[in-house]
Amino acid sequence: MNKTPHIAMLIGAVALSFTPAAAQSPAASALPRLADGKPDLSGIWQVFSTANFDLQDHAAQKGVPAGQGVVEGNEIPYQPWALAKKQENFKNRATADPETKCYLPGVPRITYTGLPFQFFQASGKASEKITILYEYAHTNRYIYTNGTPHPKGPIEWWMGDSRGHWEGDTLVVDNVHFNDQTWFDRAGNFHSEQLHVVERYTLIDPDHINYQVTVEDPKVFTRPWNLSMILYRRKEKNFQLLEYECYGFDVEKYYP
Amino acid sequence: MRIGARGFSAIAALILRGLISWGLILWGGILAPGPAAGQAPPSDTATSAAWNPPRLPDGQPDVQGMWITAVNAVFILTPAVTDDGAPRPDGRARQSGPSRVIDPPDHQIPYQPWAKEKQQRLQANKDGEGEFVDPQIRCLPSPIRGAFWQDFQILQYPGYIIFEYEGNHVFRIIPLDDRPHASNRIKLWMGDSRAHWEGTTLVVDETNMNSKGRLSREGDFASETLHLTERYTFLDSKKMHYEATFDDPTVYTRPWKIGADFIPKRAPAGYEQWEEACHEGERDAALSDLNLSSKK
Repeated sequence: MNKTPHIAMLIGAVALSFTPAAAQSPAASALPRLADGKPDLSGIWQVFSTANFDLQDHAAQKGVPAGQGVVEGNEIPYQPWALAKKQENFKNRATADPETKCYLPGVPRITYTGLPFQFFQASGKASEKITILYEYAHTNRYIYTNGTPHPKGPIEWWMGDSRGHWEGDTLVVDNVHFNDQTWFDRAGNFHSEQLHVVERYTLIDPDHINYQVTVEDPKVFTRPWNLSMILYRRKEKNFQLLEYECYGFDVEKYYP
Repeated sequence: MRIGARGFSAIAALILRGLISWGLILWGGILAPGPAAGQAPPSDTATSAAWNPPRLPDGQPDVQGMWITAVNAVFILTPAVTDDGAPRPDGRARQSGPSRVIDPPDHQIPYQPWAKEKQQRLQANKDGEGEFVDPQIRCLPSPIRGAFWQDFQILQYPGYIIFEYEGNHVFRIIPLDDRPHASNRIKLWMGDSRAHWEGTTLVVDETNMNSKGRLSREGDFASETLHLTERYTFLDSKKMHYEATFDDPTVYTRPWKIGADFIPKRAPAGYEQWEEACHEGERDAALSDLNLSSKK
């Protein structure tokens, strides 16, 4: 009669003794890798951060959780005219943020809208590009990793043009050809069409990516600046991307 | 007046889209010599037994690339003429190409009476305002029309096939394992798809559609209870036959089918699918609430 609970306790004890050890040793060799040896970023990822509200340190306001900033050094090096513009944006943010009109959010903002996104990566022929699909407004990005250069500009896209390469185990993505219509956050941080964004995706264990970004825009900032955050893997069984089809009008009124 | 100006811009957007469509119709008309020749082949003739495709590491036939409809990109479902060659009595269909409806044999969608009435109302007012504006004009997605409208890209990754439609950059991420559909409480513009391969035929089972997107430019529609079964039969690397069965007992008297042939897009080496920011470009149509208000 007493056997069953004893066995259950034993299994429990074994599980407890193994779990911490397994969690402590995610060696680089344990990273998921493709047949060609590249780290495999495939899967669904999400940011847990208040960066979309404000990239910098900020106190709570109604509807805005307090948050520690994601900008290295916390300061964004605006030129004087641009700082004034940022402050004006902040004042008018309730209606002026392009997010309120559901425009594509640009890079890197698409990463920290707060909604999940999925990396698709393969070796062989499919290694010529990495596809990233986002739940937010069906945004798609192709990161061309086949050595091709950016197309000749001038081009102004909402999501820019992305070309990637590997530096060791880090995927480095160079992005140009943006328009000047998107913001970095709901606090009015902005850029011009001269925006140049370099993203670095580094798996630090199978379920976490260190996401580091360098932002450069000689028209708006006095020097390049950096931000970083962690991307977390969604591990729930059968977790999948759903939809956030963003509308700039009251869609339910006409299409209930 | 602001309303007038916005309304004018919306009309201009509609006209622009119309002109693009008419250009495609003219092109399609040249290719399609007549209604009889233009009819789609019977559905059961599409088999894929002969083709031995290149395979991906996960075993999938490699069918990646951009696909377009073989004839006429415009997506009107029913033929421009009746089977005896007479113009359709409603006079609205403008497509010179083949009927997309391949079953029933009369190429008409088997609507229940209330649904036929609704379809005709939507068709008659398709240049109207408010709820009559085709959601696609507003850059809202449709799970069916995407492949018939602009480039349709197939991407394959281990365990997945992805359909990426250039128009409004919408996509379907389709897992190839046996996981269940999402809860039927979750309705999606692009539906919830699961698929498996039968030889070189990809069979896609799609549910959970909110069915707010229309099926055609003539007001054809389904409801949230639509169950769509799609068969993408790759006959070889240059030809794919598409069929979809619409099963929706809320709207139709029986299941019915559309069919069409697809071919690879002819494009230079290194062709890339670039950004198509529909919503952002057509701001009057996509963002303004005012120009959708009924005139009163």
